Amino acid sequence: MLTELKELIAYRDLIVQLVVRDLKVRYKNSVLGFFWSLLNPLVQVATITIVIKFVMRQDIPNYSAYVLAAFLPWMCFQMSVLDASDSISKHQDLVKKVYFPREVLPISLVLSNLIHLVLAYGVFFVYLVTIPRAPIYVTSLFLPVLMLIQLFLNLGVAFFVSCMNVFYEDTKYIVNVLLNVLFYLTPVMYLSEHVYRILPINNREMLFTIYQLNPLNALAIAYRKVLLHPFSGAGIVDIPLSWPLLGVAAGISILLAFFGYRFFNKRKWIFAEML
Amino acid sequence: MNDWSLEVCDLTKVFRIYHGRHKSLKSLVTDLFRRKYEDIYGLCGVSLQVPHGQTIAIIGRNGSGKSTLLRILGRVYRPTSGIVKVNGRVSALLDLGAGFHPELTGIENIYLNAAILGLRTKEIAKRVDDIVAFAEIEKFIDAPLRTYSAGMVMRLGFAVAVQVDPDILLVDEVLAVGDLAFQEKCYDKIEEFQRLGKTIIFVTHDMDAVRRVASRSIWLTEGHIRQDGEADSVAKAYLKFVEQIESEEN
Repeated sequence: MLTELKELIAYRDLIVQLVVRDLKVRYKNSVLGFFWSLLNPLVQVATITIVIKFVMRQDIPNYSAYVLAAFLPWMCFQMSVLDASDSISKHQDLVKKVYFPREVLPISLVLSNLIHLVLAYGVFFVYLVTIPRAPIYVTSLFLPVLMLIQLFLNLGVAFFVSCMNVFYEDTKYIVNVLLNVLFYLTPVMYLSEHVYRILPINNREMLFTIYQLNPLNALAIAYRKVLLHPFSGAGIVDIPLSWPLLGVAAGISILLAFFGYRFFNKRKWIFAEML
Repeated sequence: MNDWSLEVCDLTKVFRIYHGRHKSLKSLVTDLFRRKYEDIYGLCGVSLQVPHGQTIAIIGRNGSGKSTLLRILGRVYRPTSGIVKVNGRVSALLDLGAGFHPELTGIENIYLNAAILGLRTKEIAKRVDDIVAFAEIEKFIDAPLRTYSAGMVMRLGFAVAVQVDPDILLVDEVLAVGDLAFQEKCYDKIEEFQRLGKTIIFVTHDMDAVRRVASRSIWLTEGHIRQDGEADSVAKAYLKFVEQIESEEN
């Protein structure tokens, strides 16, 4: 593992070059450029808000802000995993002919999606002070910490998925289906408080603790808590962020990245023969 | 300094060929209890020692293991068994313009391609003028690669690859492409490498190239070394063998 990490560090310039290429190529010929990647979540969140407000008639103040705060990192997770899933087969010309640490391919895609998330949160803050006219909280300074946890989570899943996809091309499709399911299981369109409310009363605290062991859930909760005012309305009582549980989720994410990297490393030199 | 630039001992490469039309989870489940692969020997007990500064041509028919050997030396494949000892920095010219992207400019592609070949960004910045000059694309360097002619792309790829400054250069039939002027340029560069005492191993089907640049030649058949010796005599023996096979086929 250490020798592999050392070699990866020696190739850090390649990661930078690949991230730059990815960002440049993605929007090179479009007029709106980067804003295309924001337009998609904005339209989706607007739709969700309208449905909740006018169809389901739940009048919750600034609900779109709460959805958006968790939707942006979800998109980052989803795109990282999807991009990574075929990152090796897309570069088979390279993998079959040039020696370089293969992990730079999924890593560079995860990083370029993280950069998108940073930019997207930039726009989020502009939205926050203009439309809902909400204040920006000091706790927003924790955003980089949350993104770091998410980086480990995204990397871990990306390592597993990109490696598996070389051996079984079905992986990509399975992952796509799983991501669709996960989207509804993760508190993105709804709040974790909604989940808390439906848990059986006698085991509520324990079940809610288990619920937050999933780093995706813990992160969705944490992003909201550090960015926005404690939630109120529609009969929901705000549950403050549990820092120890976030710490546990961070630990799980780091372990996932560690084991994902090990899994990937054990198989990466067969890729050239499998493609 | 070690005696050999490159030492290969009893190198064997087995490819596991999986049968069945698709490799998928479904076939994984349905073929669980069937033997579903076949082992094919790409290389079979190959041993060779290469002194510093020698130029070796590897010849042989298609499927004889030339490219497999080169890919193992270039660390793209891992050997199934056997030992490969390398003394020095290896640059494998197996593919010109690895990672080139049509939407990026010439200069952007130079940085990307060179990074893939293992150069640091600082090193590339020092060499970028040489690369552009060698490729003769000064005027087009800021235009996207898709506007380049095939020849320009190839020149650019070669220009970057030779800047890696290796101790051991592996070349896979790169010399067979391009017009005469480009080929001459490649030969000049290879001769320059020879003068600098670098080790060169190249795969080719062109016996004129073998006679021109190589001092030693290795003829591979079905993963074995059939003949290893002075370039001219091995090339002659190989040509004779090919003629014989062709006359038998007719």
